[in-house]
Amino acid sequence: MANSQNLLYWLLLAVAGSAWAAISHADEVPADSAELVIRGGYLAKAADCGACHTAPGGKPFAGGLAISSPVGTIYSTNITPSARYGIGRYAAEQFARALRRGVRPDGANLYPAMPYTSYAIFTDDDVHALYSYFMRGVTPVESPGPRTELSFPMNIRASMIGWNLLFLSKGPLQPDPRESDAWNRGRYLVQGAAHCSACHTPRGFLMQEQRGQALAGGQVGAWYAPNITSDVNSGIGSWSQEELVQYLRTGDARGKAQAAGSMGEAVEHSFQYLTEADLNAVATYVRTVSAIRDPGDESSRFAFGHASSDLGRLRGKSGIRTDAGDASGAELFQGNCASCHSPLGQGSKDGYYPSLFSNSALGSRNPNNLIATILNGVDRTTSARQAYMPGFAGGPHDLAALTDQDIIRLSNYLIERYGRPGVVVTAAQVAEVRRGGPSSSLIALARAGVAAAMIALLLVIFVAVKKRKITR
Amino acid sequence: MTNQDNADVIVVGTGIVGCLVAEQMLDAGLSVLMLEAGPRVDRWRIVENFRNLPPTLRLHFDAPYPPKPWAPHMESYSDATAAEYLQLEGPNARAYRQGYVRYAGGATWHWAGICWRLTPQDMRLKSLFGVARDWDFDYSTLEPYYTRAEYAIGVCGPSDPALQWPPIRSKPYPMGPLPFGPGEQRFTDAAARLGLKNVPAAQARNSRIAYDGRPPCCGNNNCIPVCPIAAKYDAATALPKIEAKGGQILANAVAYRVETGQKNAIEAVHYFDPDKLSHRVTGKVFVLACNGIETPKLLLLSKNDRNPNGVANSSDQVGRNMMDQPKLVAELTTAEPVWTGVGPVQGSSVMQTSQGDFRGRHGGALFRFNNMARSTFGAVAAVRKGLVGKALDAEIRRLSACTAELTIEHELLPDPNNRLTLSNKKDWLGINKPNIYYDVGDYVRRSATEYSVPLVRKLAVELGATDIQVSTEFTNSDHIMGGTIMGANSASSVVDLDCRAHDHPNLFLPGGGAMTTGGCGNSTLTMAALALKAADAIAAQIKRS
Repeated sequence: MANSQNLLYWLLLAVAGSAWAAISHADEVPADSAELVIRGGYLAKAADCGACHTAPGGKPFAGGLAISSPVGTIYSTNITPSARYGIGRYAAEQFARALRRGVRPDGANLYPAMPYTSYAIFTDDDVHALYSYFMRGVTPVESPGPRTELSFPMNIRASMIGWNLLFLSKGPLQPDPRESDAWNRGRYLVQGAAHCSACHTPRGFLMQEQRGQALAGGQVGAWYAPNITSDVNSGIGSWSQEELVQYLRTGDARGKAQAAGSMGEAVEHSFQYLTEADLNAVATYVRTVSAIRDPGDESSRFAFGHASSDLGRLRGKSGIRTDAGDASGAELFQGNCASCHSPLGQGSKDGYYPSLFSNSALGSRNPNNLIATILNGVDRTTSARQAYMPGFAGGPHDLAALTDQDIIRLSNYLIERYGRPGVVVTAAQVAEVRRGGPSSSLIALARAGVAAAMIALLLVIFVAVKKRKITR
Repeated sequence: MTNQDNADVIVVGTGIVGCLVAEQMLDAGLSVLMLEAGPRVDRWRIVENFRNLPPTLRLHFDAPYPPKPWAPHMESYSDATAAEYLQLEGPNARAYRQGYVRYAGGATWHWAGICWRLTPQDMRLKSLFGVARDWDFDYSTLEPYYTRAEYAIGVCGPSDPALQWPPIRSKPYPMGPLPFGPGEQRFTDAAARLGLKNVPAAQARNSRIAYDGRPPCCGNNNCIPVCPIAAKYDAATALPKIEAKGGQILANAVAYRVETGQKNAIEAVHYFDPDKLSHRVTGKVFVLACNGIETPKLLLLSKNDRNPNGVANSSDQVGRNMMDQPKLVAELTTAEPVWTGVGPVQGSSVMQTSQGDFRGRHGGALFRFNNMARSTFGAVAAVRKGLVGKALDAEIRRLSACTAELTIEHELLPDPNNRLTLSNKKDWLGINKPNIYYDVGDYVRRSATEYSVPLVRKLAVELGATDIQVSTEFTNSDHIMGGTIMGANSASSVVDLDCRAHDHPNLFLPGGGAMTTGGCGNSTLTMAALALKAADAIAAQIKRS
């Protein structure tokens, strides 16, 4: 596998190199630039730029993807070398400033949906490679993306200046001589290009990554990016190096976890393209990240449940139940899930359909990923195969239209039978995941603050007017 | 704006034909209102209905779909229930017990998903063999619609032309073929030893990848009576897509009369709701997509002064030429395990036997290894032997492994005497039940005695059968065709080459009823192709007006 991955990498290098040679002008660029562009392309994969800057079905890096954040919808921008609509006019320093400091050439601040707090550690060499790739290896797309228009007060981009003062602290990393090259490379990738903390580190009140909670788990839209610290119970301390590498490359660690939502996208668009050496470097580093234990975690989320079913209780009753009212969780499971995951919940022998026991989504104390999987399904394609599960939320392409109450009964049944005892799914949780995740109280609070100031001002005016009336 | 009593296009029926037409209309910017006689039921409830059935009922494919009182369909589990709705007579009445369900989504709920095309020869029986009728357009006219239909519903099939049937295609299948299960492979090898090629069936079932949001097949092996995960296309999967595009679907709305007006154009369709209240819906174009039994029934029910034989029936051909592929089955016992049941319930057939110069004298036939798991058959048979305990278990295992079934489907010619009329018996709403006279004819009988039965015996022996029981009574294949036959001549056919009624400029009757001849294979893909051809004509017609 390692060999074929490396071979693939060099093949890509060769193909992309010849493609680049065809579009560039040999007399304008130094001889080593072809490889620089290729390296930049690899880094762009590692940084998963395309995940946000390419819309579904759209042209590469032309932007336009709607990213729902707790403070509103942010549209990714065109980062092709189009002079008019993209970044074609960016000088190298301007590109570097946008990438590492979140500031556009016109001085406006980017929203931290762009993970510049992670990209801040990119080395000058790598920024240069990325710049070469985006200027010379990407086809310009001459169309503008939709504008991001957040509501007040988030529409004031200058507010990010203060935010950056508080939270943009990182600069280039100094290699740690006590650790291996792989560990240092892994740290560079995890903290930088792969921007793992953007999802896996919980956010604070001002949407900043919380210090001291690195990779301890955070909510991202409808999905929960779980604790991936080295803790044996709360994190991934029980995973082997091979399991981690396998998971990053395919999104599937059998008997433990499967990637969906943003992590499925990260595997599909980024990790599956990394070299075996880089995947091993990431795994090497992640396994040393300081353990953070959630006090409630008395055992690992990967180790709950076993094969079992209620079929004996369900079958053999009077046949036809088409018009029966609310179904039990067991019936919903048998009718909707068991045809793939098996009536005993053990999945398929080849692992295409994961088991429901020994499964992170059911063993976690936070049930959001179970709810999100049922509602949204899974669609993750790697070079090996497509892993696909339809959604059950009642959309045009969904397999069923389960109500919130159906999902509560189904989830609680699944958790009770195959997951962590004691976790209970509530109506509020299902409704929030169906909405696409929590929204930040930031806007309400900021608006409340402004409203309070307005009321105070009105009061002052009112009092002043009254005084004038009295004095008149 | 679509509302509940008016739209640009009124579609009666929510099966594959109605849904394909509706989607095309919505994509063309027209409003659509669909009427469905039966209920709309969640897939998982049908799956649970099926899995709760006792073994003896599992082979009755309509059993998980109990009909509503206002939308009866044939219930096959006993002769008495089967005789309730469809009134059948004639020498082969038993062979027209057509199993369709009046549920939103229609009969594709329980089809096997097989998507054979007609061959160019199948469409020219009169010119080539002097029997039946020619279609009034040729295969090359139908081919682009076949391809569009395959992409609309997601058909998997082989890319090797040597394995395609027929290998005359403008585009590859949207997906590659599903692999054969071990039983199908044994049958393929046995056929090859006799010089016959068992080819992978084109099938509306996702192989390895998701298609249009539906997941790949995971081999539950109960495509009939319901695909639990919608890996097989059924029109129920189209319903939410139609609604997302703005179409409106009224379930439990039983159309019972088509109303004509000026210039004999259609003015309205009348339907009953479950409270027996009547409603009237109006539109610019009306599409009756209730297939070969319910569509002619509705036309005959709608007779008026201007149309005394029924709507669209100036030719007197409405309800005539009822077709299917009369079926015989060979039940085999083998010395060695055959192992049926891996993969879908059907996945291949010997098709070359449907063609030949013999078609002047008798019909062609296809031969299929039925891949439905034998465990149900084995269990029922073993229990009937009175066995218990380990002996019962061993016998179930032996019968599941060492039995098999081969099916023969015969080509039937359109015959005006095979006729649907209105019975005097009425259903729960007071609507006349359909009555059908059916005789498979000497063309089919000669095919069986001279051709297909001798050949199936050879195939069975080659497969290692130690006992062969070939059925003697023809049964239904559920491929309803012919009741509103198509042709260029309005004196001898009901619809024109776009499935438009000769008598009514804004009435379209696409689907199996329009098929001029049926060939040996499942009619569904041809129905879908005709639906798309009609949809193009409807969109053009509305834009012109």
